[in-house]
Amino acid sequence: MKRIRFSFCALLAVLFFSMPLDAHAGEMDDKATTFVQDLEKEAVSSLTDTSKPRQERVDSFRTLFRDKFAVDVIGRWTLGRSWRKSSKEEQTEFLELFEDLMVATYVDRFANYAGEGLKYTKTVPVDENMSTVHTEIVRPDQADARPISVLWRVGRQGELYKVLDVVVQGASMSLTLQKEFTAIVRNKGSVAGLLEELRKKTAELNQT
Amino acid sequence: MQFCSNFIAAFVVVLVLAGCATKPPASDKGATQEYQEINDPIEPTNRVIFEFNRALDEVILQPVARAYRVVIPSWVRARITSALDNLRAPVVFFNELAQGEPKRAASTLVRFGFNTTFGLAGLNDFARELGFEKTDEDFGQTLAIWGVGSGPYLMLPIFGPSNPRDAVGRVVDIVIDPFNMWTRNVDREALTYARAGTEIVSTRERLLDLTDDLEKSSLDLYAAVRSLYRQRRVNEIHNGHVDDLSTIPGVTNYPSWDNSIPNEEISTKP
Repeated sequence: MKRIRFSFCALLAVLFFSMPLDAHAGEMDDKATTFVQDLEKEAVSSLTDTSKPRQERVDSFRTLFRDKFAVDVIGRWTLGRSWRKSSKEEQTEFLELFEDLMVATYVDRFANYAGEGLKYTKTVPVDENMSTVHTEIVRPDQADARPISVLWRVGRQGELYKVLDVVVQGASMSLTLQKEFTAIVRNKGSVAGLLEELRKKTAELNQT
Repeated sequence: MQFCSNFIAAFVVVLVLAGCATKPPASDKGATQEYQEINDPIEPTNRVIFEFNRALDEVILQPVARAYRVVIPSWVRARITSALDNLRAPVVFFNELAQGEPKRAASTLVRFGFNTTFGLAGLNDFARELGFEKTDEDFGQTLAIWGVGSGPYLMLPIFGPSNPRDAVGRVVDIVIDPFNMWTRNVDREALTYARAGTEIVSTRERLLDLTDDLEKSSLDLYAAVRSLYRQRRVNEIHNGHVDDLSTIPGVTNYPSWDNSIPNEEISTKP
């Protein structure tokens, strides 16, 4: 009996000391998970209907992307150390072109992923303002039946939640873009060269 | 044959002429750090090989992979993939032991035994349905676990993106494969080539969607592939348990992300 009471007290103590921290991180995790679930629902309802004209889907994806992704944060991060070296005008144009590129690239890819149905496996805190939502896409009809891992890095500022990165099978969208942009700035010798390439690419993507 | 050797000679000349990446002056710290991070000292040469591989892929491999996708039903393709994976199991088993992962090795052994017999030469992955998930290891990963660094990025002709560590790993995996030993012993090396060919086509087919996407959206395909290859290898080495937080755009030191562009100087460091 004594032993039970002791362990009960110990349990209480553990609960007491661990609660404030867990409650805090837990709240962020829960909200981050709900945020991704809402994002998924919205994506499915607005993007997967292929009977809609493409332009309409592009427009709704742009709204969704602006609303749910930290576009400016990701954009300037992908420009890396060149951001500070760029002029104001270059920065502004870069962010516009970056958004265009993302929208044109991901409108179809995103619809594909969202349409498959995500399985939410766990959510892990990064710090008090960021969580990683772990999801999986299971495709039983595919040759490789192993699920595809998709991680969503969700950050918050106040009550505003946004996606900072999407990591598919260990490959980070933001990091890959950063490496690509860095290579182009290096080879072209300037941010202006990168902007030129971005203009060409977005024009090409919007034609098709 | 004459044409072939001429072609190879021309190819080598082009490679040598392409040469090495220019190293930035040591005084430029940012550029030097970037150069080291990119870790691709023979980039111009690698780019030439990359374009050569792409041309080869477009003319030969892609058409075959697309035909394979159209002609062979997906259910059959899944069986083929499964059988090929099963043939690799002994190598995976060896690498798991070498990495000090006896539990995973045991699971691979059970899978191999079960799928080879009940699964009809691995055509079916019944072991997975019993809870023995498929794992994949290669000797490049084993070397990484042993502490061997990747070395500089390397674009191999035909084989594609690699590095010295993974290239060595690939050779070791081929040498220790019991299936290859067996075909050598019974003088049926054609089987080794048939298996390799099927493996290449099957893998290429599964990558079609990814590469079509990349081809369409990337501004510098070579740089994108280089980054993706590295990220994938890191992920494989850690068996998917990577949480490298250095890859997330910053959040806490951000003034505001409410669709306005703040003027404050912000850290662009990850």
